[in-house]
Amino acid sequence: MNTIIQNILVFIAVALAILFLLNKYGVLPKKKASKSKACGQDDCGCH
Amino acid sequence: MSKQINVALIGNPNTGKTSVFNALTGLNQKVGNYPGITVEKKEGICKLPRGVKAHIIDLPGTYSLNASSLDENVVIELLLNKNDKDYPDVAVVVSDVENLKRNLLLYTQIKDLQIPTVLAINMSDRMSYKGIHLDIAYLERELKTKIALISTRKGKGIDQLKELITNYKELSTEPCVNASEIDKDYFNKLRTAFPNQLLYKLWLVITQDVNFGNVNRNEVDAINSFKTKSKTDLKRLQQKETIKRYQFINNTLKKGQTIDLKSAKDLRIKLDRILTHKVWGYLIFGFILLLIFQAIYDWSSVPMDFIDSTFASLSEWTKNVMPEGAFTNLLAEGIIPGLGGIVIFIPQIAFLFLFISVLEESGYMSRVVFLMDRIMRRFGLSGKSVVPLISGTACAIPAIMATRNIESWKERLITILVTPFTTCSARLPVYLIIIALVIPEGRFLGLSYQALTLMLLYLIGFGAAVGSAWILNKVLKIKSKTFFVVEMPNYKVPLFKNVALTVLEKTKSFVFGAGKIILAISIVLWFLASYGPGDDFNNAEEIVTTQFSSENLAQEELDQKIASHKLEHSFIGIAGHAIEPAIRPLGYDWKIGIAIVSSFAAREVFVGTLATIYSVGSDEEETIKNRMAGEVNPILGGPLFNFASGISLLLFYAFAMQCMSTLAIVKRETNSWKWPAYQLVIMSAFAYVVALIAYQLLK
Repeated sequence: MNTIIQNILVFIAVALAILFLLNKYGVLPKKKASKSKACGQDDCGCH
Repeated sequence: MSKQINVALIGNPNTGKTSVFNALTGLNQKVGNYPGITVEKKEGICKLPRGVKAHIIDLPGTYSLNASSLDENVVIELLLNKNDKDYPDVAVVVSDVENLKRNLLLYTQIKDLQIPTVLAINMSDRMSYKGIHLDIAYLERELKTKIALISTRKGKGIDQLKELITNYKELSTEPCVNASEIDKDYFNKLRTAFPNQLLYKLWLVITQDVNFGNVNRNEVDAINSFKTKSKTDLKRLQQKETIKRYQFINNTLKKGQTIDLKSAKDLRIKLDRILTHKVWGYLIFGFILLLIFQAIYDWSSVPMDFIDSTFASLSEWTKNVMPEGAFTNLLAEGIIPGLGGIVIFIPQIAFLFLFISVLEESGYMSRVVFLMDRIMRRFGLSGKSVVPLISGTACAIPAIMATRNIESWKERLITILVTPFTTCSARLPVYLIIIALVIPEGRFLGLSYQALTLMLLYLIGFGAAVGSAWILNKVLKIKSKTFFVVEMPNYKVPLFKNVALTVLEKTKSFVFGAGKIILAISIVLWFLASYGPGDDFNNAEEIVTTQFSSENLAQEELDQKIASHKLEHSFIGIAGHAIEPAIRPLGYDWKIGIAIVSSFAAREVFVGTLATIYSVGSDEEETIKNRMAGEVNPILGGPLFNFASGISLLLFYAFAMQCMSTLAIVKRETNSWKWPAYQLVIMSAFAYVVALIAYQLLK
C-alpha cells in the first residue's frame, strides 16, 4: 500500500514538473486575456 | 475602511528616486514588468498618516516628457492616460538639490498636465557642503506646489513628504509655465478643435515621435478642421517650449537659490581626475575587480561548505526518517541534491551583487561607463553598451532589455548579440564547482589561483563580447548615427538599506527564478535516471549478481555495481550514451553530456543535474563536490574532472549560448528569429571548437 502511494506521488510530481517546464518554455498554448471593449477602456473608441 | 491613493514617483535618473521609493515602501514592494513590454515596474505600498494607504509606483527615470526611449514612453503613457489603473492621484517629482535647474524642466511639464504634484528635493544633507541655500517659501510660491526638503541618506523629511502626499487635494493644479504662449495662434486652433481635451496633453501627443499604446495620435490627424504643423515646425516649437521653461526656471532659481562657491568643498573634481584618468583609471578599475573576485572566494567558503554539508545531511536524514519507497528516493536523490546545487551558490552571488551595488550606489559605475567608452567606440559599441555588458554579469535578460536606451540601431543590435558572452550569474555555479575541482588552492602574490581563474573567465567573456562586436561592426551593413551622453552623479557613501535591498532582490530572483526550473528538471531527471526500459534495467540485480558471483564482492560494493548498471540502462543513460560520441573528444562522459543538454534551459541547471545523477542509487552522505571529485573517467581511468576536461568545460560554458530565455528575449527585442538563430549556432559552434582544442592540447 505504502509503495503504491509513494509511486502515485512520484508520478504526480513528475507530471507536474513536465507540465511546468512545457508551460515555462511556451510549448503549451497560453490563454489569451479577455480584452474588454466596454466604455471606459482605453481602446473602446468612445473617446 | 482605509482608502488607497496612487502615487507616482517621477524624476531624472540619479536623483535618488529609488531611495525615496525604498524609504516610503520599505519591504512592501514588488518588481514586475509593464504589460506587453519588458521595462521593469517597481511598485509598493506605503502607510500614510490618518489611515491613508498609498500605492507607490517608481517610474523609470526620465529627463523630460519628450520620450526618446521605451523607458521614457512608460512615464508619458501613464501620465496621459486617465483610464490607467495606476494613473496617479498625486505625482512626486524627486529632484537632486545640486541639479535643481535641470530637474525642474520635468517638474514644469508635469505641472502642465494638471496633476497634483509634490516637489521632493533630495540630498538636502549635501547643501552645507556645496554652499547651497534654498528659499523654500519663495520656491513654493513660484512653482505653485509644496516642497519637501528630504535626505534619504539621513532619513530626514520623509514624514513631511508623507504628510504632503496625504494632503494632495490641497495642492494647486495650476501650471507654472504657460506653454501655449510659444505660438498662441496654433494653440488657439488646437483648443477650438479639441475643446474637451487638456491642451498640454494634446501637445505631447502631437509632438512625440513614438506611438503610445494607450493614446490615439491618429485622433488629431483625423480632424478635418485642424491641420497640425510639419514635423520640422513642431520640433522648432518644442525647442521654443524648452527655452521658455528654462527661462522660467532660471528666473525662479535666481531668487530662490543661492550658491556660495567659496564654502563648497568639492572633492569630486579631484576624484574624477584620478578615477577617469587614461592610465590610473583602468589600473584602479582592474584592482577593484581583483579585490571583488578575491573577496567572493575568501568570504563565501565557510557558508558554502556549511550549506553543502547541510544538504548532504538532509538527504541522508530524509532517507532514514521516511518510509522506503520511490517518493522517498525522489526527495533524497532528486529534489534535495538538485536544490542543494543552487542554494550553495547564494553566498557568492550575494557577495557579487553586494559589490556591484556598492559600486553603483557610490557613483563609481558611471565613471567606469565613461572610462570604457574610449575602448568601446573602437569596437563598434557605444559607451552605453557598458551598462548592458556590466549588468550582464547578473543576467543577460535584463541586460539585453537595458540596450533600449542606445539610440543607434546598429550599436544596439551589436550589443544585444554580444551581451550573452558576458559572464552571467548562471555561469557562476558552473565555474565555481569546476574551478574548485581542477584548479589548485595555492596563492600568487596573496591572490588565490582559483580567484584569478574566475577573474580570467570574466575577462574572457568580456573579451569575447568586445571581439565579436568588432567583427559584427565590420560585417553588419547598417547605417546609423551615434552619440554618447552620460551623467556623472556625485560620489556618495552607499546607503546600507539600498544595497541590502538590491542584494536581497537579486539573490531572491536568482534563487526563485532558477530554483523552480531546477526543481522541475531535478524531478524529471531523477525519474529518467531511476526508471528504464527493457530487461537490462529491470533485471539489473540478477545480471550484476550473476556477473560478479565469482568475485565475492562485499554487499556495499555489489550495491554500487547494481546502481551503476541501472543508471547506465535507465532512460537517461540511454540518451546520454547516444550523445556521448559527440562530446567524448571534449573530454566529457555521457553524464556531463546530459548535464550540458539539460542546462540549455538555464546554465545553473548543470550542477543540479550532476548532483541528481550522481546521487541516484547512492546511500552515502556526500557533498556535491566530493561526488564530482570521485567520478572516474570510464575510458582513460583517473578523475573525470581533471585539468584538461575542467578547462574544456569552463571554456565551453564561457562561449556557449546555453540559455533558452535569452534567445526568447533576443527574438522579442529584434523582432526576428534570425538573430537568436545566428547567436545559437555561432556561439555553440565556437564553444565546441574552443573546448575541443583546449582538451586536445591539455590532455
